[in-house]
Amino acid sequence: MSNNHLNNNRSVQYTTFFCNKAVLGLEISYVQEINRTINLTRVPLSPPCVRGVMNLRGEVVTMLDLRILMGLPAGEPSKRSRNLILKYDGEVFGLWVDGVADILTIDNNHIAPPPSNLSMTESKLIRGVYQAEKGLVMLIEPKELLNTSLTMARVAA
Amino acid sequence: MPPTVLMEWINAAHSLNVHALGSGNGSELCRKKVGGTGMFQDDELIHDFVVESSTHLAEIEGQLLEIEASGDSIDVELVNTVFRAIHSVKGAAGFLSLVVINSLAHSLENVLNMIRNRELVMNKQIVNTLLRASDQLRSLVENVESSNDVDVRDLIEELDSIVRQDPSASESEVINSLEEMVEHALVLDDQSNPPAPHDTAPHDTDPHDTDPQDTDPQYEEIMESKETVAVTPRNVREGGKEPAASPNKPKATDSIVRVNVAVLDRLMNLAGELVLSRNQLLAAVARGGREGLDTVAARVDQVTSELQETIMQTRMQPIGTVFNRFPRVVRDLSSKLGKECDLIIEGNEVEVDKTIVEAMGDPLTHLVRNSIDHGIESPARRAAENKRPTGTVRLHAFHQAGKVCIRIEDDGAGMDPVKLKTKAVEKGIISGEQAAVMTDSEALRLIFAPGFSTAAEITDVSGRGVGMDVVKTNIEQLGGTVDVESELGIGSAIHITLPLTLAIVPSMIVSCGGERYAIPQTNIAELVRVPGSEVEEKIGRIHGAEVLRLRGALLPLVRLDEALGVVRPVDYQLESNATSILVLETGQMRYGLVVDSLHDNEEIVVKPLGKHVRDLGYLAGATILGDGYVALILDAVGIAMHCNLRNVDSVLVNEQQQNKTASEVHRLLLFSNHPEDHFAIPMAMVARIERIKASEIKVVGGQNILVYRGASLPILRLEQNISALYPETEEQNLFVIIFKIQDREIGLVAPTLRDIRDIEMIIDSKTLREPGVLGTVVVDDAPTRILDLVELVRIRYADWFQPETIAQPGKSSHPTSVLLAEDSDFFRNHVTRTLESEGIKVVGAVDGLDAWENLKTMVDEIDVIVTDIEMPRMNGLDFAKAVRADSSTSKLPIIALTSLAGDDDRDRGTKAGINEYQVKMDPARLIDAVRRLATV
Repeated sequence: MSNNHLNNNRSVQYTTFFCNKAVLGLEISYVQEINRTINLTRVPLSPPCVRGVMNLRGEVVTMLDLRILMGLPAGEPSKRSRNLILKYDGEVFGLWVDGVADILTIDNNHIAPPPSNLSMTESKLIRGVYQAEKGLVMLIEPKELLNTSLTMARVAA
Repeated sequence: MPPTVLMEWINAAHSLNVHALGSGNGSELCRKKVGGTGMFQDDELIHDFVVESSTHLAEIEGQLLEIEASGDSIDVELVNTVFRAIHSVKGAAGFLSLVVINSLAHSLENVLNMIRNRELVMNKQIVNTLLRASDQLRSLVENVESSNDVDVRDLIEELDSIVRQDPSASESEVINSLEEMVEHALVLDDQSNPPAPHDTAPHDTDPHDTDPQDTDPQYEEIMESKETVAVTPRNVREGGKEPAASPNKPKATDSIVRVNVAVLDRLMNLAGELVLSRNQLLAAVARGGREGLDTVAARVDQVTSELQETIMQTRMQPIGTVFNRFPRVVRDLSSKLGKECDLIIEGNEVEVDKTIVEAMGDPLTHLVRNSIDHGIESPARRAAENKRPTGTVRLHAFHQAGKVCIRIEDDGAGMDPVKLKTKAVEKGIISGEQAAVMTDSEALRLIFAPGFSTAAEITDVSGRGVGMDVVKTNIEQLGGTVDVESELGIGSAIHITLPLTLAIVPSMIVSCGGERYAIPQTNIAELVRVPGSEVEEKIGRIHGAEVLRLRGALLPLVRLDEALGVVRPVDYQLESNATSILVLETGQMRYGLVVDSLHDNEEIVVKPLGKHVRDLGYLAGATILGDGYVALILDAVGIAMHCNLRNVDSVLVNEQQQNKTASEVHRLLLFSNHPEDHFAIPMAMVARIERIKASEIKVVGGQNILVYRGASLPILRLEQNISALYPETEEQNLFVIIFKIQDREIGLVAPTLRDIRDIEMIIDSKTLREPGVLGTVVVDDAPTRILDLVELVRIRYADWFQPETIAQPGKSSHPTSVLLAEDSDFFRNHVTRTLESEGIKVVGAVDGLDAWENLKTMVDEIDVIVTDIEMPRMNGLDFAKAVRADSSTSKLPIIALTSLAGDDDRDRGTKAGINEYQVKMDPARLIDAVRRLATV
């Protein structure tokens, strides 16, 4: 996966969040907002990665479940669960995570390629790994996030 | 870029003019600059160019056709209009270095110039070339980014060869070419030092990387464009007025709406009002308490509604924007097929939502093409059939009942239902048995079935894999319906009904499994609630499919929870044990959707769904409800498809057809006076049904009176007039069936309404006969008495009938005589009795032949013929034809009796010579009709 951001000596800010105890990061420019709306409307017959749709100030936004996308079993909502509202390629969608952590500024030079022992789904989604003070942060590629989920949607439809 | 900046820039170009002229070889200079700087890169300018040019070009086609139609008497002003449009495009394209567009427009302009100077006579060939050129120009403009790579030399050569017929044409322009070239160069030159920063994003491939010298034979011509600079400022300024839209959209025209300034002004006013109301609201809330809140709320409500309405208006566009393409389609196609065809367009000004206007283009084109290809015959065949050699296609848009209707009619060959059926059977779309019972109108609708095409062989005109089924699907996706009418040899018509707007849809909110869903009202035929106690009786299974018995017909049922695989929460409880059913109608399909509960009707705003869920077939979108939650909008067609309803449907059709063929069926209103005592009234006599409180009926002077709409309505209670059981308990709420006798309204108390059903009239007229009761039928194993309302009223209000018998002026010599042909003993007796009680003499006959023989012996005595339609030996239609054919009887008025008011064979009856139709069970009207026709 060749990516411009990884090749130059730039520092980029990442929003980090939890998914099943692992820490993941998404480039902050794709994150529009973080909220905790729980007024979800379920969509019958939709792919499992779709948790439902919600009202985001008048727009109907699809909420995806990061756990399902990562090949994990679905989790229960908790006090710390949040929605990341992302925008990629004109499509606004939500990502349901187990909780949000810090915003990290990461120098592209410090990003290592994804470890080879990740599962297929995971390794596609992960752009690289960063060793933070508290532990590893897996950085997610938003393009793959959208593609993977859309593929699931097509299979379901 | 704001227009003012642009103006400065252009002025700068002008002022540099002198300087540049002095710099020597203009043509050299400009070649170099074009090659070096490449395409003008200001996205917004390009965007404006595309929008404006598209508008210009859209109109040209119609104008060219009009010019052609006017023949020798050319309307110079019209030619000028086209000329100016092309000229503007040319100018702007030159300014933006769109070389190919510029040169094509230039050649086109030359031809037009000759036409307007009357140096060239228009002919079909020239118009063809001009049309092709304008098409090409349009496609170039649409794909403006790659326009410079398109090779249009052939077309330019063709245009130029038209011009060369008169060599004097282009001379004048050549003279000025040098000057222009220099002007042109300056505009381009200026780009190297732009006053405004360009978009920094790297642009995609630049066609000008190649040397223009070897690719551009027309290059010299571009430079000839004399008025380039002079025209451009005006153009660009106009372009700048367009509402800004996001740049880099591939099709600029799609994202722009032209809005009437008056509408915008109103919007501004309303926005002001809204701000004012908000301030009042905030103030009221700050004060606390409810004081003043109501007024503010009402104000906000009003302003919001008006705002909504006005905003909707900005989306409305005249349907003419679609219709305008058809003169060309019809012209091209009919000449290609060797047919002659006129197009009549009506209702261009009818306004529809922009989305609908855009989406209707393809379906309409298909339908119009079909009309010409399959409908209109060749001139020779038309002549042979005594038709005008030129066929007519009529395109008509109009408003009807809050919807937009579009009709596409042709006076062509029409469609043969028999052939359609045969074809459908051949293709396996329907079975032979289905075909046998199919009515003609059902057969015509077969053209919408997937995989059906009426043309004997597939032509490249209409048979291109896009069938009528796609047209139908497209229209249904817009929330519309489509139907077809056709008469063999006369022509066909396609009737399309569309909603005015898509954005706001009146919908029913229902819930299922704890989620709420919206279903558009357009699809809902009625709501049915089956109480828990009746579920077993009304909902059954046929071949494994669930069906609802609704008024004697069977309706396939879909359970929404099963269809969508809804998992109910463990603690979920249904609100009641009744079953709520929405009867949905989508074109041909009709089915019941079982939901958990029904809520309110709401006007919902349709929101698009995200990519992940957009393709789920059963969904038509989503909406946001008053409480902020999202509700999904269900698509009636999608659900039916999802459940493969088609199969169930055909099974039901068969069963229903079998029912139909039995004996005479009447639609009866069933009610009970007491749980054990059932009654029926022919629906034809019921004016309406009201629900009232028992206490509203007052007893005045020994009569029951209901004060109703400011007048007093006499009320009958069955138990007071015939031997009927008293209602079990005095109910709080009652139904009153209101009907009209002798032009007066009267109500009948019906404590419990049961159903409205089509019931076979196997009547026992002996056992329970008494005045006011016609006889007994068995409904659901219970004896049900059919009431004779006229007699019932007569018992109570004999005086109502007195004046009628006296008021019979004129024909005093002999009483009115009626010949009655009716095979059912019951009805013959009933009608005879009814008529005789009015002093009308009746001669009975058991069928058409009997009546005909009777008639011949007593022609002079009979004033009116009353006949049933379905009779053995000779039916009513043949009888009527026989009467009309014989000179001694041909003037006799004929009244036909039917069992159902809405029979579809009335047309045939009228053709056979029947004057009037009356419903059998409505004696008052029959008497009225007999009297009326007898005195004529």
